[in-house]
Amino acid sequence: MAGKLNSILVNSLVALFCGLMTLWVSYAFPVAVRSMADKVGAALSYPEMPAQELRALVQTIGNWVMERKSLQDRNRELEIENLALRAALHDAALPRPASAADMIGARVTLRYPEAWWKEVRINMGSSQGVKVGAPVLSDGYMIGKVAMVGEDYSWVELITSASFLLAAVVNETWDLGVINGDDRGNIWLLYMPPEREFKRGMMVSTAMVGDYLPPGIPIGRIWGNGETRDGFTPQSVVSGAHLTQLYNLQVLLVFGETEAGGARN
Amino acid sequence: MIVSVAAWLLQDLLQVLTMGFMLVPEFFMLVVVYMTISGPLDEGRISFWLWFAFAGGVLWDLRWAAVPGMSGLINVAAVATVFWVWNRTPAGGRSAVLFAGLAGGIHFLSGIAHYFSWAVPSQAATRMFLIQQLMSVPALVLLCFVYAVRVRDQHV
Repeated sequence: MAGKLNSILVNSLVALFCGLMTLWVSYAFPVAVRSMADKVGAALSYPEMPAQELRALVQTIGNWVMERKSLQDRNRELEIENLALRAALHDAALPRPASAADMIGARVTLRYPEAWWKEVRINMGSSQGVKVGAPVLSDGYMIGKVAMVGEDYSWVELITSASFLLAAVVNETWDLGVINGDDRGNIWLLYMPPEREFKRGMMVSTAMVGDYLPPGIPIGRIWGNGETRDGFTPQSVVSGAHLTQLYNLQVLLVFGETEAGGARN
Repeated sequence: MIVSVAAWLLQDLLQVLTMGFMLVPEFFMLVVVYMTISGPLDEGRISFWLWFAFAGGVLWDLRWAAVPGMSGLINVAAVATVFWVWNRTPAGGRSAVLFAGLAGGIHFLSGIAHYFSWAVPSQAATRMFLIQQLMSVPALVLLCFVYAVRVRDQHV
């Protein structure tokens, strides 16, 4: 009896030790563990397929009902803006530029509760043309950018992540700053001069920052001042998207000169 | 073992369906605990279920957790604790009610352990935690019922 208990005790202790080692490996080698997790996810995607499809169907129906009105309104706004821009181009006698961007829909396939404000995984990857740095949108607002690309999946770093840094501009004042998260759901526009007066509701958009990230993508609206430090007053920004409810996203694919030409020819 | 694998898959499929809304109850852990105490408490069987619980937990973490390892640890601790209590309880006291208390208790503690590792906003996390615990009640009732029927059949 004592031998039996001892053996079970030893097994329990060894298993607990293995669990602790697994935790240590996860902290010490996050990239290797992430790669293993992606492989497990890929292997499980086959038995999970019916559940994924059912989830997508339910979401599509739900979104269609809920978002139809807001999409119609936004479409109308964009049509008006488009007409105004066309008229301006016509008046300036400039040639109309060919569209050099495309938008693809993506579904969120994983959002860790432990990294809720840091990252999500989507079901679009390099085989669909997704590239590192591509902006990711929800409800027409930027919510993050692609941080890592696999063949059929990508990891998106969220705008609320503490490691997220992005040049942004306040549309009404043309003040430039840097968007940064804090891993707790807040978004800050850093390096804003304290003498400038920002009003609640002013729109913040992306500034020109990279090949795959065009300027002018709306991020959110200014909510209030932060504490002045080192000669700067950070501005609190409220995202225009529902960051707690990220299910269907859009990835903006911007083509380079050659790529755009190739894609169109 | 097939039932435990099925429980793991069921938990996984339900998590896919409800990702972002709720966390599914730990069906796998509950079934493994049930399997541990529902047969003879011999060394080989218990050790097998200990390692099976560990493997299932690590696999779950690789699919659903940012830092794998925690569920493996919790599952091993759960099986070991339940075995320890069950083994020290006289045969006459090993009732469905005791099983329900033990399984419910470890499920609650497992939920609490996960809760404190989440970065989800506190209100949403609390809601997810409560839903998870409430959703585990039917599974607990079902397992208790199966255990009670099994005990009754053994005594007939």
